[in-house]
Amino acid sequence: MNNILLGNIPLLVLNQLLSGLYVFTGVLYGIHFYGDNEFAKNFKQPGLAMTVLTHLFYLGLLTSTEGYKISYSTFNMMSMVAITLSLTYLFIEFTTKSDKTGFFIISFAAGAQVISSVLTALSPDKGMAFSGLGIGVHLIAAIFGFSAIAIAGLYSLLYLLLYRQIQHNKFELLFQRLPNLEVLEKLTMHAVSFGFLFLSITLFAGYFEQQVSGESISLMEPKLLTLIIIWFLYGTSIVLKPLIGWDIKHMAYVFISLFLFVTALIVLMTFFSPTFHRLTP
Amino acid sequence: MNIISVGVNHKTAPIEIRERISLTETQNKEFISGLISSGIAHEAMVVSTCNRTELYVVPAMEEVTGEYLKEYLIAYKDARNEVRPEHFFGRFYCGTARHLFEVSSAIDSLILGEGQILGQVKNAYRIAAETQAAGILITRLCHTAFSVAKKVKTKTKIMEGAVSVSYAAVELAQKIFSNLSVKKILLIGAGETGELAAKHMFQKNARNIVITNRTQSKAETLAEELGTGKVLPFETYRDHLHEFDIIITAVSTKEYILSEAEMHQSMMKRKLKPVIILDLGLPRNVDPNISKLQNMFLKDIDALKHIIDKNLERRRAELPKVKAIIDEELVAFAQWINTLKVRPTIVDLQSKFIEIKEKELERYRYKVSEEELQRMEHLTDRILKKILHHPIKMLKAPIDTADSIPSRVNLVRNIFDLEEPNQSY
Repeated sequence: MNNILLGNIPLLVLNQLLSGLYVFTGVLYGIHFYGDNEFAKNFKQPGLAMTVLTHLFYLGLLTSTEGYKISYSTFNMMSMVAITLSLTYLFIEFTTKSDKTGFFIISFAAGAQVISSVLTALSPDKGMAFSGLGIGVHLIAAIFGFSAIAIAGLYSLLYLLLYRQIQHNKFELLFQRLPNLEVLEKLTMHAVSFGFLFLSITLFAGYFEQQVSGESISLMEPKLLTLIIIWFLYGTSIVLKPLIGWDIKHMAYVFISLFLFVTALIVLMTFFSPTFHRLTP
Repeated sequence: MNIISVGVNHKTAPIEIRERISLTETQNKEFISGLISSGIAHEAMVVSTCNRTELYVVPAMEEVTGEYLKEYLIAYKDARNEVRPEHFFGRFYCGTARHLFEVSSAIDSLILGEGQILGQVKNAYRIAAETQAAGILITRLCHTAFSVAKKVKTKTKIMEGAVSVSYAAVELAQKIFSNLSVKKILLIGAGETGELAAKHMFQKNARNIVITNRTQSKAETLAEELGTGKVLPFETYRDHLHEFDIIITAVSTKEYILSEAEMHQSMMKRKLKPVIILDLGLPRNVDPNISKLQNMFLKDIDALKHIIDKNLERRRAELPKVKAIIDEELVAFAQWINTLKVRPTIVDLQSKFIEIKEKELERYRYKVSEEELQRMEHLTDRILKKILHHPIKMLKAPIDTADSIPSRVNLVRNIFDLEEPNQSY
């Protein structure tokens, strides 16, 4: 199917503008983290809100041309990752009142959106369009699941950086600016819990959809295999922590590894296997 | 009109000189009352703290200079043998204002950005006001200084971060735990250092503080003072180590009171939940190998001093912002002082026109009705107000240099034929 964005200049411009907005917001958060700029301090949150609203408006316009169906393509998925990460981060910022981790999350979201915009401009194919409750829930839960994996990975990284700074008496910028270790641990574990929830929904919705369509899917399919491994490890870590006190430092290494692994997998699939699951009737 | 400041502080004199010249509250009142009653000063105030004794004076005579005031203070303290004028600094006019602004903002303090000095300056002003030694100039100077200090506190980070070992310990604990009120704290040693750390923890909402000490009565006294009332016998505290999230040690001992094996066992019992040990003892109380344990944060005084150094570095980086605020307020203050010099001319100008108005109205008093006279008076008041508006506005307009004031004042006095003023402000 042809990429509708290439024939729709306003949509294409809006898509490219989104990248600019994400980068601009990421820069504002960065300036606020590394310096004490009043402009960045006051305008980073409105900037993020505006970016998210623009993104939602863009998604509305994009799907309206196809009867609000979600189409599976790498650039759409990356764009969805950007919006879900931003929405999740906005929720965290409002609930925890801590705005010092925004730079790391929004930078990742900006990266995802920039890749999406670049691929949008280059790709002639817009991907397979899906409709139906089961597949919709499957896709959206998978995207939120990946966002949760990204957030858990990023917060784990921040936890380890701060942990090392404190252990080595390096009371530098991260020590000054980041939330305390306990908060970072809570944020990581919340992200893991949400990740587990969304990945569970992804699995169940996928299974349900496969049963309805009668198509079969190989358990060795890379995306499915990765999903099951992460789902299992997340579930295990949630259970293990209260039971045997598996300490957050070791868990952080696992979450970072999973995040890097999934990101690498997505990038590789983007270039070598940009399709949905290999389904056979 | 001038305002002079002289004094000794940590930059100009050693501690023994500062101690010798310092004034108690009673002496402060007596001293400034003496300056006023003897006709030396129109206004006076003394800021006396452990690090400074500074005199702020609006002189009543030309002979009253900085040198005069230094000698006067030395004589008052009968300290000629120890204290010399060279131990003093001296400022006048805007230099005085800048100095008080810097003092109030805590950038002139021994510990940059310390939080006590503003209260001490406020106290000095209270004493001067109660003694009726604070007139229009010192009142305005002090209120501007308070406003500068408030701006500095809210708009800069000059007062942020711990700059004492015990407070750095709390800052570190807050970087690991989010809520000290739910954490269990063990204080080993009820001496001065331990007491200070426990009090800082208490200020940050830590309520579950258990104290142990070789002399149990000292632990009980401190527990009572803190309001926690929790004491652990010194012989048994090792059995409870796993219950505590924060352990503060501040005892005088040559041997380690916490060993690696003990803490390893304790960490296993608490399922590796993080623990902070703050070793405030000298020599150190805790085996340094403990820091190798998983999720164990052991910090001694040297480590905490790293936090203090970093915080002081950050405070120093804020100095340009503080100085910019002071400069801005100083310009406004200087302009206000300049307007004081035109005040007698404004008063004379208004009096002259009111006199003319009253003379002219008097001529009509018996020629018109009472009601008409009131209307005429009302009308002339409005006309006078409009006529005088511009000359007064011109006189009060911001003046950058005091040199231009006499020409401006003389112009108005000559045009309106005003007599020579007999008061300075």
